[in-house]
Amino acid sequence: MKKWIKIFAGLFAIGIIAIFVIFFFFYNKPHPDYANMDAAYTMAVGDLYKSYKANKTEAGQKYNGQVIAISGRLSKVELSDSLTTCVFVFNQGIFGDEGVRCTMSPSFSAEAKKFQPDGEVRLKGYCTGFNDTDVILDKCSIEKQ
Amino acid sequence: MKKLILIFLCCSFMVFTANAQRYITKTGHIKFYSDSPLEKIEAHNRQVKAIIDVATGDFIFTVLMKSFEFPKALMQEHFNENYVESDKFPNATFLGKVTNIKDLNVAKEGTYEVTVEGKLTIHGVTRFVKEQGTFEVQSNKLNGKAKFNLFLADYGIKVPGAVTNNISKTIEITVEVALDKFN
Repeated sequence: MKKWIKIFAGLFAIGIIAIFVIFFFFYNKPHPDYANMDAAYTMAVGDLYKSYKANKTEAGQKYNGQVIAISGRLSKVELSDSLTTCVFVFNQGIFGDEGVRCTMSPSFSAEAKKFQPDGEVRLKGYCTGFNDTDVILDKCSIEKQ
Repeated sequence: MKKLILIFLCCSFMVFTANAQRYITKTGHIKFYSDSPLEKIEAHNRQVKAIIDVATGDFIFTVLMKSFEFPKALMQEHFNENYVESDKFPNATFLGKVTNIKDLNVAKEGTYEVTVEGKLTIHGVTRFVKEQGTFEVQSNKLNGKAKFNLFLADYGIKVPGAVTNNISKTIEITVEVALDKFN
């Protein structure tokens, strides 16, 4: 009988530990650290924009949800509320500038604010898609030249 | 349906192009809030694109579903993969009008009550919506605010039985856009 209780208690303890592990490492798992992830694609920023303009469905299937490293000549840095956005302009439309917008991760914002227009930059971020005027890269980090 | 939306979108763009009294933003904010017995879930999207033509009242929103940020990575994964299927339906759009745009005087600072109606497309499902909101005129800015509820079932978003107590059937949406004058 005592042996049976010991087995039951052991299984119960394993169950509790399993729940604890699932909660902390699965349910509560952290967001991906995009800055330290390898890019699925590395390309010129203009090529990324052209891909979406040429066929947004096809480009979306390929690039949406992927970590992409881009390089190119920066047009401007926009500041709004808590966001720092590096903008690469390739076109003009009813929404004004159209191109690739890279929202910087907070830990890279200060450095991005020092970027000068027309300077060559290399960024890496999570591609959330194309909103019919702009390709959006989120949680961007600065890649060393 | 896709062709109709495209035609409507093109017509809206042509109307926008013909007029110059436009206000735009690409950093609008939409908050998604679910209050269920077991869990409160809040997500934010701060990359909302919106444009209004104050001459005609035409109003367009575009939202990338993958730009919603949740406090937990797992919630974000489930939202994108299981609920809104953002690989299949990457954008949500609103194409409509401020019906009482004549009440909005952009030359006079103040807060104006507005009625917005039009077609809201989420998860590939388009429905007519009519909601109340406000516009606050501040020099060359229009600060728009609205709060309304969405029924997930209306947009074909199914919540699996195992998590029905974790996600509310009704989602509260809060919209805040600071639109800049654009010529």
